[in-house]
Amino acid sequence: MILALPLAIAWFSAVLLAPLNGRRRWVGWLSIVLLSASFAALLWLSVDVLRDGANQVVAGGWEPGVGITLRADELGIVFAVVSIGALLVALVYEVINGVHESFFPALVLFMATGLTGLFLTGDVFNFYVFFEISMASAFVLSGYGREQRQLRAALIFTVVNLLGSVIFLSGVTALYHVTGTLDMGQISRLIGERTASSSILIGVLFLVAFSIKLGLFPFHFWLPPIYRDSWPSVATIFAGALANIGSYGLIRFGAELLEPVLRFGAPVLIILGAGSVLYGSLQAITVRTSSEALAYSAVGNAGYILLGLAIGGSAGYFAAVLFALVNPVNKVILFLASDLRGWLAGAAFAIGAFSVAGIPPSAGFFGKLLLFQASIDDGNPWLVALIFIGGALSFLYMLRIYQRGFWADGKTDLFSPFWARALVLSVALLVVALGFWPEPMLSISRQAADVLLLGGH
Amino acid sequence: MILLLSLTVAVLFGSGAYLLMKRDLIRVAAGITLISNSAVLFIIAAALRRGEAPIYPLPHDGLISDPLVQAMALTAIVISFGFTTLLLSLIYRLFVMHHSVDQEDLADAEREADGELEPEHIWR
Amino acid sequence: MTTVLTKMVARLLLLPSFVIALAMLVHGYINVGDGFSAGVVASSGVALQYIVFGWRESETRFPAWRFAPQVAFAGIMLVLLVVFVPVALGKPILTHYPRSHMHVVHLGSIEFLTAVLFDVGVFLLVFGFIVTTISMFARAAERSHS
Repeated sequence: MILALPLAIAWFSAVLLAPLNGRRRWVGWLSIVLLSASFAALLWLSVDVLRDGANQVVAGGWEPGVGITLRADELGIVFAVVSIGALLVALVYEVINGVHESFFPALVLFMATGLTGLFLTGDVFNFYVFFEISMASAFVLSGYGREQRQLRAALIFTVVNLLGSVIFLSGVTALYHVTGTLDMGQISRLIGERTASSSILIGVLFLVAFSIKLGLFPFHFWLPPIYRDSWPSVATIFAGALANIGSYGLIRFGAELLEPVLRFGAPVLIILGAGSVLYGSLQAITVRTSSEALAYSAVGNAGYILLGLAIGGSAGYFAAVLFALVNPVNKVILFLASDLRGWLAGAAFAIGAFSVAGIPPSAGFFGKLLLFQASIDDGNPWLVALIFIGGALSFLYMLRIYQRGFWADGKTDLFSPFWARALVLSVALLVVALGFWPEPMLSISRQAADVLLLGGH
Repeated sequence: MILLLSLTVAVLFGSGAYLLMKRDLIRVAAGITLISNSAVLFIIAAALRRGEAPIYPLPHDGLISDPLVQAMALTAIVISFGFTTLLLSLIYRLFVMHHSVDQEDLADAEREADGELEPEHIWR
Repeated sequence: MTTVLTKMVARLLLLPSFVIALAMLVHGYINVGDGFSAGVVASSGVALQYIVFGWRESETRFPAWRFAPQVAFAGIMLVLLVVFVPVALGKPILTHYPRSHMHVVHLGSIEFLTAVLFDVGVFLLVFGFIVTTISMFARAAERSHS
């Protein structure tokens, strides 16, 4: 029963909030309470899953191959916790600063519904349906705010991601045609016996679909305009929650469902990941505005996840999962802090910058460390050099953004609301705390990554 | 049969992709519709068995038609219908703002708006 | 769009479209049709009224269509209740009643299952959503032309 609880709370709340006017303070705070309730149910479920193992229920009481399987395993639940947490922080930030349009709280809850559903499902087509629910909320959120530039960026975002959804649907159909089932566990068992040509084609379809979602080079072109022109809370939602669909999809579909294809295509993935890291970092140094630099930083960081997956094995998957979990938290801090003024916000931004560059003590340091370890184990000196260069470049562009934002004169006399700064600082302090005491984070990520190594259930 | 369906899916997808790269936004919306429908046809093509209804007790020697593909195709049609509505609303909102659905006009308007902003404002 | 012929045809087609929608809704288990297609057919009839007569006259004649958003809201609440109430009773989600061993209530050849409630909810949601969208487009078009 507790498996359906977060989804039920989020969905009912979203529908109940839809006719209300989100600009009123009580509606905003009601939405925060409801989203916190869903988040709390998710935390309860995660304690249950991390202690006792995966939790599974089949809709309608049918057998696992016949009905739709809802499955909460360690990998899905940690992604769900990070994504809904990012949504909660963005919602609180926006309510503190004053909501601009009446549909914002309801949309955030619809996105929470979509994300919870897709992280906690074991059926490929059900994943597609919740993926579309999240994307529909994102399309409407991308038009949030009344400026002209945001609408054009919203149009590009909508068209490109609709194309990505169609490619994903084609991949799902091809997977069904080739294996005859939609259940993730059965697919991972059956895919090894299918012909290589069809499996590789399916792998390419999923790679393209999730690269569009995550913003990997060369599918990233929709990303900078929408991150640059959105409100900070919307950019936070995109970077901290929506991009997780891409990283989770690559990890789940690549490493678990289509493992033979991933091993076969590892060299190509290393090149793509390296291209993303270098392109994103170099572009971030040269662009004019800070939000654009943060957008290219997101492109660069996405490459590390692909590198971790391509290296493979226990170390590679561990690095990829940890990086994919720490990265959204960093982005939440960076996007929110870059909108605030004052030395508290500057400190929070600095912590986020250290975490992205991989400097201790921060959670991001462990992500980079594990990637170093995995590439050293793999015996690939170019990869080690690449990760080091990527870290140095990210430190460089973070310094530029910090300089432009927090050291320039004439801006220190304006102070933003105290609670907004306190919120961002508390997330930043969490990152520092994880840097000093990484053991829980590491063991949880290790548990999540081991799900991939076990293969079929 | 499979060749015919594959060719149709390819032609639909190709026409839709061609329309996506046009200047007029209504053609872009039409392109998205064609592409979504090509995906739906691909779903139906995934199980091309015409047989008895899949309800127990099953006939032992006959073919059974696949109901899962029909359910998936219907879901995909509903989803693409909702997204087409969303895309058309977005295009309409752009039209109301700029009185044009031409992408060149929209880009020009954006460049003008860019030029009017002060450096301080575009820091963010 | 407003010749005498189109007006007459639009008036004539409204009620049959509702009847066909209802038939599709009810026969969805044996023949072609389900909640979604029923909703689309019913709202096509309504959309024709909006296109031919404009929103003011249509909503004057059928004031019920002004409540289309509420209809959509009722539809999705019904769907969510059918999906999640079994969870409160300890069963997996979307468990339909009556179960296979239980007695089914009949009305002629129509059976009463929670699946029928689910389809009615989907019908209300789709009908309400499409009518709301059409009415909003009609209002916005009038506002931009004036």
